Amino acid sequence: MDFDRRRILKFIGKGSVLAAFLGQIGAAGRAFFPNVLYEPPSRFKLKRPGDYPDGYTLDEAHRLYVIRQKDAFHVISAICTHLGCNVQWKDTEFDCPCHGSRFHPDGTVISGPAPRALDWFATTVSPDGFLQVDSAQEVARDFRLLVGAKGKA
Amino acid sequence: MGDKIKGLWRKTSWAWSPDSERESSEAIVKNFWLHWFPAKVARASMDWNYSFWLGTASAALLLILTVTGVMLMFFYVPSTERAYGSIKDLQYAVSFGRLLRNQHRWAAEGMVAIVYIHMARVFFTGAYRGTRAVNWVVGVVLFLSTLLLSFTGYLLPWDQLAFWAITVGTSIAKQAPVVGPTIQFILLGGHEIGQQTLLRFYVLHVFFLPVFALVLFAYHMWRIRKDGGLAAIERVRNERTMAPKATPKTKSYSLFGITPGTSVQVMSSTGLEQSDQVFSSPNMSRRIALVFLIVFNITLLAALLFNAPLEGLANPSVTPNPAKAPWYFVWLQELVASTTVRMGGFTVSGALLGGILLPGFLLAVLTLWPWIDRSPLRTEGRWLAPERRRQNATFAVATLLVIVLIMVGVYLRGPYWRIYWPGQPRPEMPRFY
Amino acid sequence: MEEKGDKNESFEAKDFGWLVAMSILFFALVVVGFWFEFSTDWGSYQQEFPQLLGHYGKVEDARDFRAGIKQIWIPKIGVTDRCITCHLGYEWSSVLPATIAEPLKPHPMNDWLVKHEFARFGCTPCHGGDGSATTLAGSHQGGRGWEDPMLSRALAGQNGLTMNEMIQMRCNFCHRHDVATPGMEEINLAKQLVIKKKCLICHVVEGRGGVTGPELTYEADRNPELLSFAHVHGERTMFNWNVQHLTQASVVSPNTQMPDFNMKPEESRALTLLLLSWRRLPYPPEYIPDPQVAAAAMQPSPTSTATPTPIAR
Repeated sequence: MDFDRRRILKFIGKGSVLAAFLGQIGAAGRAFFPNVLYEPPSRFKLKRPGDYPDGYTLDEAHRLYVIRQKDAFHVISAICTHLGCNVQWKDTEFDCPCHGSRFHPDGTVISGPAPRALDWFATTVSPDGFLQVDSAQEVARDFRLLVGAKGKA
Repeated sequence: MGDKIKGLWRKTSWAWSPDSERESSEAIVKNFWLHWFPAKVARASMDWNYSFWLGTASAALLLILTVTGVMLMFFYVPSTERAYGSIKDLQYAVSFGRLLRNQHRWAAEGMVAIVYIHMARVFFTGAYRGTRAVNWVVGVVLFLSTLLLSFTGYLLPWDQLAFWAITVGTSIAKQAPVVGPTIQFILLGGHEIGQQTLLRFYVLHVFFLPVFALVLFAYHMWRIRKDGGLAAIERVRNERTMAPKATPKTKSYSLFGITPGTSVQVMSSTGLEQSDQVFSSPNMSRRIALVFLIVFNITLLAALLFNAPLEGLANPSVTPNPAKAPWYFVWLQELVASTTVRMGGFTVSGALLGGILLPGFLLAVLTLWPWIDRSPLRTEGRWLAPERRRQNATFAVATLLVIVLIMVGVYLRGPYWRIYWPGQPRPEMPRFY
Repeated sequence: MEEKGDKNESFEAKDFGWLVAMSILFFALVVVGFWFEFSTDWGSYQQEFPQLLGHYGKVEDARDFRAGIKQIWIPKIGVTDRCITCHLGYEWSSVLPATIAEPLKPHPMNDWLVKHEFARFGCTPCHGGDGSATTLAGSHQGGRGWEDPMLSRALAGQNGLTMNEMIQMRCNFCHRHDVATPGMEEINLAKQLVIKKKCLICHVVEGRGGVTGPELTYEADRNPELLSFAHVHGERTMFNWNVQHLTQASVVSPNTQMPDFNMKPEESRALTLLLLSWRRLPYPPEYIPDPQVAAAAMQPSPTSTATPTPIAR
């Protein structure tokens, strides 16, 4: 085998091993990014709009309040912005039992250690007719989801 | 700049591609990874046709299993409720999870086979004589560790295959006289296979047995150095010491000056000559890298082509028909199934005869063979030495019988442990719908 | 390199070719591994789906679509269903027509789907199959030893049933205690037959009954190998065994005390469906419906011979 061919083959050989090794490292690294999460998804379905009464309804499992005013819906997070306890709706305001924060019906702070207003979550109607909340997306306090007779208006 | 990089690269990698004999010698002293090699190895040891590099292949498989095993540990959950689901996740939801699991499984099965074949090679070449007897015993213990590693790992998927294979295996262990039930009790962590069993087998499999095997492996390598190298060199040594050397001309001093002629000198070599040896770096390290590559490719190919088996979730109330031990133990199951002896009122259980006594006897003979062997020492390090014909034949026949029993157990046994020849239709087992 | 002498070179020469070949093979195998990883069963469907959504006017949803494995995870009932990784149209029956081919076809909106939302039930409790799988064969048939294949027309046809009848069997996993349930005609018939034929004189079901025959509370969990198929014709299935046993018990079990009911095929089929719905399941109490609610929802059927009374379950 003459020298030049040898060098080329050596280069190909070493290159192959290096590339393959990097591929293996890449594959191993990729495996650590889970493809499925065993946790509640950030976007989830609640009940159908028609199942909610007017006013403030607590959803304990999802830690939020569904507020209905006839056809208008919005969702406020029940997680206190201070240190994460669940706030309690007391007909005219939200009270947090942990350190005494108080919030207006729209989630803005009245008093207490809470640094900011309660989050409002983006709310839509799912294709099969359920209220759908995206807890990763916040909306302004003038957000209202209007639900017509056949779902989203 | 390019020169600086090249210089840096040379500084880190010189030991692996030494440019001179001096660098080759220094490599094994100055490089951590190479320090367990001798400066030189005998050419005879490098021969493919002597050892087939089976020991290196076993070590390669151990490395593959360790790396894939640690990766798997990030995903597997040793809980009876979650184990099966975590394996399903590996198959379907983890990127490259299927390949990872497959490679681990096939490397494991391969290692049992390769370690055995390595042991057979050592036997056939009589490479356990003299000081190598210690290493032989270490090797037997390593072989048993390999079997136990495979056995403990077999339970972890917690499927029907796993559960019942371990039921069969531990029931055989129970038959050991006096200590049997106690052994089974601590193996299982109780009387039944359950969460406590799974946890014990898991810790044995991922920590205790690997550490044990690694320590023994290190000692196994140490012994090779202490024994002077592979037994192949003994053959070379014998040849060298048997052959008279040409006497070189020397000079001697007499009363009146220097006289030509010969002086006192050794007429034959006392051992290996320089021409019998080559530098470990790069020759042996290159060869080892090649063996690792070949073994890795084979396991990767197997992982790409064949899926590791996974049956239904373990169900203690439903025994699959038939229930088989893993293939490397199924020959024991065959013996157990066929050696129950009934004489008058007495019944000697097959599990005792075929499961404990016979394999125990074989194991004892195997371990003590270096001290039982009566063939002349000059046969060591050679293949098919005529003086070893009888013992080689016995070992070969015993191996063949075990292989036959394994084939019968794996391929010919069907429902109710009846024999079904290939082509013979097997009864359709009833199903739900 | 030449300084080391030809003894080293000969080893290098011997190994060189092999090293190069094995290196290239290593690389090739890793490439194949990556290719296997990315050629999933579901990849092409996930490319098609956003286009489909866009075609039907759902441009924003099409844009928001993220590829990847999707699952419905309900730990309370042990459900991890990845069916929706392929069956992407499942919740889009309001937009996508039923004429779209599987697997993108939307789940038909029917009365019982309204009460059995995906978020609460997943897919496999009703349809069977292995929800954790992301391949076609793995999820529909399941691997070797998987005993709960997905219900299909083929499977139903093999047992002389319709899909509807097979699903009713699974409905009864939870609706077991219902007196009668709308939409489960065959099971309702079977429950009435249990009273008519007085099964509980000889069999214990859920703590009540006689001990002449075996307990039937969890009959569906019984190991099929424990049954004798010597006198059963056709496939060796629990299904066939029960149908024939109910029709003529003395033929299937020669020394039995069970009388030959000589039932009509639809009766023995219905009762077999009922028996094979009696499984031990880990569903929590909120999944078990109130028995009287379903009964109240039932319209009185003109062919029923008796008003539904609480059956010994």
